[in-house]
Amino acid sequence: MATYLARRVLQVIPTLFVISLLLFGLLSMKPGDPIDDMRRGNPGFTQADYDRLREFYGLDKPWYVQYWRWLGRAVRGDFGVSRQFGRPAASYIFNYRFPNTVLLSGLSLLVAFCVAVPAGVISALRQHTAVDYAITVGNFIGVSIPIFWLGIMLIYIFAVYFRGVLPAGGMVTPGVTGTWPMFVDRLRHLLLPVAALSSLQLAQWTRFMRSSMLETIQLDFVVTARSKGISERKVIFKHALKNAILPLITLVGLNVPLLFSGAILTETVFNWPGMGRAIFDAILVNDFNVAMVSLMFISLLVLAFNLLADVAYALIDPRIRYE
Amino acid sequence: MKKKRKDTSPKPIETGEVSVRHGESYWRYAWRRFRRHRLAMVAGVVLVILILGAIFAPWLSPYNYSRQNRSNMFDAPSFRVEEDQVEDKCVRPRVLWWRCGVHPFGTDDLGRDILTRVLQGGRVSLIVGFSAAFISTLLGTMIGAIAGYWGGIIDSLTSRLIEIMLSIPQLPLLLILVGLLANPEVQFGVFLTGLLGDSKSIVMIIGVIILLSWMGTARLVRGQVIALKQRDFVEAARAVGASRIRIAFRHLLPNVTSVIIVQGTLMTGEAILIESGLSFLGLGIQPPAVSWGNMLSRAQGFLYYPNGIYIAFFPGLCILLTVLCANFVGDGLRDALDPRYHGRV
Repeated sequence: MATYLARRVLQVIPTLFVISLLLFGLLSMKPGDPIDDMRRGNPGFTQADYDRLREFYGLDKPWYVQYWRWLGRAVRGDFGVSRQFGRPAASYIFNYRFPNTVLLSGLSLLVAFCVAVPAGVISALRQHTAVDYAITVGNFIGVSIPIFWLGIMLIYIFAVYFRGVLPAGGMVTPGVTGTWPMFVDRLRHLLLPVAALSSLQLAQWTRFMRSSMLETIQLDFVVTARSKGISERKVIFKHALKNAILPLITLVGLNVPLLFSGAILTETVFNWPGMGRAIFDAILVNDFNVAMVSLMFISLLVLAFNLLADVAYALIDPRIRYE
Repeated sequence: MKKKRKDTSPKPIETGEVSVRHGESYWRYAWRRFRRHRLAMVAGVVLVILILGAIFAPWLSPYNYSRQNRSNMFDAPSFRVEEDQVEDKCVRPRVLWWRCGVHPFGTDDLGRDILTRVLQGGRVSLIVGFSAAFISTLLGTMIGAIAGYWGGIIDSLTSRLIEIMLSIPQLPLLLILVGLLANPEVQFGVFLTGLLGDSKSIVMIIGVIILLSWMGTARLVRGQVIALKQRDFVEAARAVGASRIRIAFRHLLPNVTSVIIVQGTLMTGEAILIESGLSFLGLGIQPPAVSWGNMLSRAQGFLYYPNGIYIAFFPGLCILLTVLCANFVGDGLRDALDPRYHGRV
């Protein structure tokens, strides 16, 4: 177990290295540098200033030299300064953007999981009934609907048609004070984005839960439990559900990082100041350091959660062995 | 991400009510099974209608899709003829019962007929969806088959590559690539513009989607090929002296066809969704070309206008309908082509 774990963790490092090289290369292929932008806004800017600044920031070097420098600083935790905001890129992302994303994505995750499990179980237990068909068709719709369109439709219904029952976007209403009103206000702002963002995962997980449950209730131990005279409720919830939910937990683990980067569209529609939106803006305005730090962070999350899902699955299910 | 659990125990083949007739080919049998899947059949018909609508878009409407009409903006959907409409705004006076001056889906902020634009946008969205899905599935199949069959260093390198590609957040990577190619100062992008002209953004989107979506198929095919490789018929083929290439393409791939077809169908929906997302963010299909995604890109700003909702509603509905139908058909195909899979997902 320890060696397996150590090997897997060590494998993450070269993977991260290649990812950073790839991203850095792609990002630095984009023409235009920040010194150009400075020059544009400043008539007193001379060619000498330009050259001096380019040299100071290392922009006169080829991209692989710049990469090497970036890497050297990055491993020490220094991800450079944001070109848009003039503050350290890492602290900007982690202090101002990451918490908002955690709030939105975390809540979506929770909602999706809490709805998907019962929905999947009901769908499986009532296989081939109207309820099952309704849930299944609902799942197909959830997988097929463009999230941003769902968001726009939700905004139209709740903010426009019903004249502002729920806010159309943003995170807070200015001027709301007091703990309780602020809490309610935040919740009102969260409702629609969470509904939109959780739809895809909700549908996928429900579908997965249904098939997992269908497979489990056919297994011998469930039949045994039943034949022992245990009540149906206990058979389903104590014996079957416990086993059926295992693979879903792996899937949830694998989907977590997706929620962080995949929220770009939702965050754009609802004007939510999260990571996804920050990445999008950083790429658009060529804010190199912000883009790099957030993309690397998400890649690290993906790798970490893959590993975690594998390990957790192996821990829960003793049938899985390590090579 | 779908995860299919591999079951190693032999399962009884569950054929449902349709059983194999004597002397019937696999494909005929599959077709009979598919027809039984009512939802998939309906979805297939809807998909065909959407495709036909897209193909014949320029001849189906009395309007030109880019023709603006400032005197008739934000028109509500109706089948009534607007009397103030001048006939010369139309390309042709009527198509069947669709007369010039009628806007069945309303008009947008520039007075363009939304139904005409939806039909025209379908051309781009469907072309992007189908070609990206087709090529990406083909590419994924080839890579997966090679990695799975050859094994060794090729396999481990490919697996690493797949893992890396899957670890990079997709949408941001798409944004970077598209942003690069669209930049007028990037050599390769300029080269593409010279080569493709106005259709550049379409080809570019297809290319970028392919580049970032072959991994799923590759993984799937690789797994299947590795499992098949151990089977006796492959051993037999090797014993009679069949070459590696022959075994891979003649004996292994035909056994994965059903999986690939299903994957390709599901990929189509996926590609259409990616295109619409990118176009929505303003990085996909560029005006004056019109796609369902780029019709939506400015739509959010008109929600508070009277009748502004229709600008967003209809293109999005088309995306939903197309992707939904593709997914239903994919599901039906999976049931039909792989009898063991029946009713499990």
